[in-house]
Amino acid sequence: MSSTTTSANVSHPMPPASADLATTWAFLEEGVDHIMTKLQTGVSYSKYMSLYTVAYNYCTSSRMHNTYYRYSGANLMGSDLYNNLIRYFITHLKLLKDQSDSLQDEALLRYYASEWDRYTTGANYINRLFTYLNRHWVKRERDEGRKGVYPVYTLALVQWKSNFFLHVQSKHTKLAGAILRLIERQRNGETIDQGLVKKVVDSFVSLGLDESDINKASLDVYREHLETPFLDATEKYYEQESEAFLAESSVSDYLKKAEERLKEEEDRVDRYLNTDTRKQLVSKCEHVLIRQHSDLMWESFQSLLDFDKDEDLQRMYALLSRIPEGLEPLRKKFEEHVKKAGLAAVAKLLGEGSEGADSLDPKAYVDALLEVHRKNSDTVTRSFRGEAGFVASLDKACREFVNRNSATGSSTTKSPELLAKHADMLLRKNNKMAEEEDLEGALNRVMVLFKYIEDKDVFQTFYATKLSKRLIHGVSASDESEASMISKLKEACGFEYTNKLQRMFTDMSLSKDLTDQFKERMANHEDMDINFSIMVLGTNFWPLSAPNNDFIIPPEILPTYDRFSKYYQTKHSGRKLTWLWNYSKNELRTNYLNQKYILMTSSYQMSVLLQYNKHDTLSLEELITATAISKDILTQVLTLLVKAKVLINEETDQYDLNPNFKSKKIRVNLNQPIKAEVKAESSEVLKTVDEDRKYVIQATIVRIMKARKTMKNQPLIQEVISQISQRFAPKIPDIKKAIDTLLEKEYIERVDGTRDTFAYVA
Amino acid sequence: MVHLVTSDNVEFVVDKEVVERSVLIKNMLEDVGETDQSIPLANVSSAVLRKVIEYCEHHRGEPLPSADADQNQDETRKRTTDISEWDQKFITVDQEMLFEIILAANYLDIKSLLDVGCKTVANMIKGKTPDEIRRLFNIVNDFTPEEEAQIKKENEWAEDR
Repeated sequence: MSSTTTSANVSHPMPPASADLATTWAFLEEGVDHIMTKLQTGVSYSKYMSLYTVAYNYCTSSRMHNTYYRYSGANLMGSDLYNNLIRYFITHLKLLKDQSDSLQDEALLRYYASEWDRYTTGANYINRLFTYLNRHWVKRERDEGRKGVYPVYTLALVQWKSNFFLHVQSKHTKLAGAILRLIERQRNGETIDQGLVKKVVDSFVSLGLDESDINKASLDVYREHLETPFLDATEKYYEQESEAFLAESSVSDYLKKAEERLKEEEDRVDRYLNTDTRKQLVSKCEHVLIRQHSDLMWESFQSLLDFDKDEDLQRMYALLSRIPEGLEPLRKKFEEHVKKAGLAAVAKLLGEGSEGADSLDPKAYVDALLEVHRKNSDTVTRSFRGEAGFVASLDKACREFVNRNSATGSSTTKSPELLAKHADMLLRKNNKMAEEEDLEGALNRVMVLFKYIEDKDVFQTFYATKLSKRLIHGVSASDESEASMISKLKEACGFEYTNKLQRMFTDMSLSKDLTDQFKERMANHEDMDINFSIMVLGTNFWPLSAPNNDFIIPPEILPTYDRFSKYYQTKHSGRKLTWLWNYSKNELRTNYLNQKYILMTSSYQMSVLLQYNKHDTLSLEELITATAISKDILTQVLTLLVKAKVLINEETDQYDLNPNFKSKKIRVNLNQPIKAEVKAESSEVLKTVDEDRKYVIQATIVRIMKARKTMKNQPLIQEVISQISQRFAPKIPDIKKAIDTLLEKEYIERVDGTRDTFAYVA
Repeated sequence: MVHLVTSDNVEFVVDKEVVERSVLIKNMLEDVGETDQSIPLANVSSAVLRKVIEYCEHHRGEPLPSADADQNQDETRKRTTDISEWDQKFITVDQEMLFEIILAANYLDIKSLLDVGCKTVANMIKGKTPDEIRRLFNIVNDFTPEEEAQIKKENEWAEDR
């Protein structure tokens, strides 16, 4: 074990444990001063230990006999040391204060920052050397509620603030001013020493003191001396800059500038300000850079849209989304813009075709509407980040131009009709969209417009009619695509909406089974020389009507007809079969020509042609008698046969079989739709829709009244509209008419003594 | 390794990890940095330091009480006079050594050791009358009867009834 070491820089010998205050402090002060001013020259262990020990000894020395505090239990020495420390700090800081008086701006900041470093480092040492003072005397004083007594490090900061910081600030806020001028230079594009700024700013934060809990940071000093003037300066700076910039540059350029500035300011917080400032700074900048110029931005929005300035739109959106209500005017303008685009697209389409609205090509119409939607939907996604408000504007505008444009006129049924026709063409066999994916995509696009259709019931009716045709004539492109489309409709409108459509498919597959079973059953009948297949379709699900003219079943097919009727009756007794001759197809093989042809015909054509098995020439009258087909339909049937050159019509009302009939194809399709039928179709469909609507409205009223018992006229109408609007937009006169009908039928009655209240009649 | 020199000039060489149970030395090593200088401990004799080092060796690696946790720890420390078995055995020393250890722990800022010492003294006092306590610690009663009555009155709340 070795002997003692002597430290190199002990200038005073360590006083004994019993030394008095003067001796003790003289020794301590020399050490404290060394640490506060010349720490860079180092401190030895023995110096450190001697300072600690002297402070410790002083605080633990028993001077109880002199100063016994009877009522506070025990005496703790320390107030003398504490007061001497205060005096030391004051003297030390006066020196700094004097030296700083001649300094300005960056020089001042440099001086301040380096002294701050030195001071806080020293104070940390002192704080630990006086640990014993902190642990006992300071703690006791604070526990007993004495104000203005702090642990030594905090004491040092308090002294710095009142004896140095406030002094410098009192001269025209010299310190904060220097920082603000540096920040302004940086905003002007100069490079500044950010580390320096950060150091000084951090000192502002450190100087904050929460008197109630000294361990908690307080931003009081930072707020008062830096944040507030900084925010004011920021406001002024950007007010001037944005005014000046806009006076010389375009709005597009300004958007860029504002975006950059906002980012810069956020970065500034990260670089050297307290994070607490972020919110206020950002909102101040947003106010000056965006809010104060929002009118101008709103005004320029239209031209950015017109010229598809995507980037500028994105920027404008991003900026305006930062201020409350900033986007609302954009959303309104966007809605108007989309609506105009939609109307213009339809008007252009009508202008191109000379035919006008009546013979509008469904595909061209649907494509035109879709293109407007696609383009603007892209804009919403790309420039407005798919924000809900813009999506709503897009939807509102689309709903408007899809249902009301120059093609539809005042008709609300035109768009659903055209859309259903387009869907029909897509789903037909001859459609060019051979690829499944293309078809699926096209169907999805149909659904895009379907969403906007107001009269969904009209679409439903047209769709059902078209679907029935596809199924009966076997021209549907694929079961898969049909099912896919139905499931899309179901997803959009519910089970009810597609119920009938699905039942149609069920009937189709049941019919196939039925045909097979019937064939099997008849297999051993030798006279079954006719190939026969049947579709049995539920009256309620199929939008088909039986012919209202008579029809004599040709004897050639009569046995088959009878056999099937009997077979069906035994299988399902009590069901009534109505034969839809107008939808039937037949194939006839020719025997009278050199070449054998197969003629594909309608039943009417078949019944006419079969007459020529026995005759070569027949008059119109004879044909009418033989087939019982009405004259106007029969003439059309005959016209087609003549046109196909199967029959020859050389004399008025006389039709001869053409013995020289020739065709390039073996299978000759004669089965063309009759014009009268095509024309009738649309108005037929619409009549059905109107009829259906009456019942839907009535049923809805009854349902509502049953639940509510009594209701006033106005709320009732409102409720009906809200419940039905999913399917179509009911007209108020129709609702009133329905109410009258229900009053008449005594489903509801007027409540006595009132003019506009109804009650449900059970 | 850290070199410690006691008041009676005996040098101890101790693991840094062990000696840093003393917050005083830990802080100093942090502030001044590590050198090969020896650290003079003016208030601790070699006999006492030996005991202190024994304690620190045993408890090496245990977490030191942090400054923030002081408040809560004070509360739990105050409520219990339990001492672990090892500490109990360690602190079974004569009265003079016991007080020396307490003083050294206070000086070196080793909170847990200070606790062990103070708890031991508390356990010695527990259940004894003032006279018995005076005899135990060789204290001369220098209160006047009036002062004694006054103190008794003030501390009535603490009487075990």
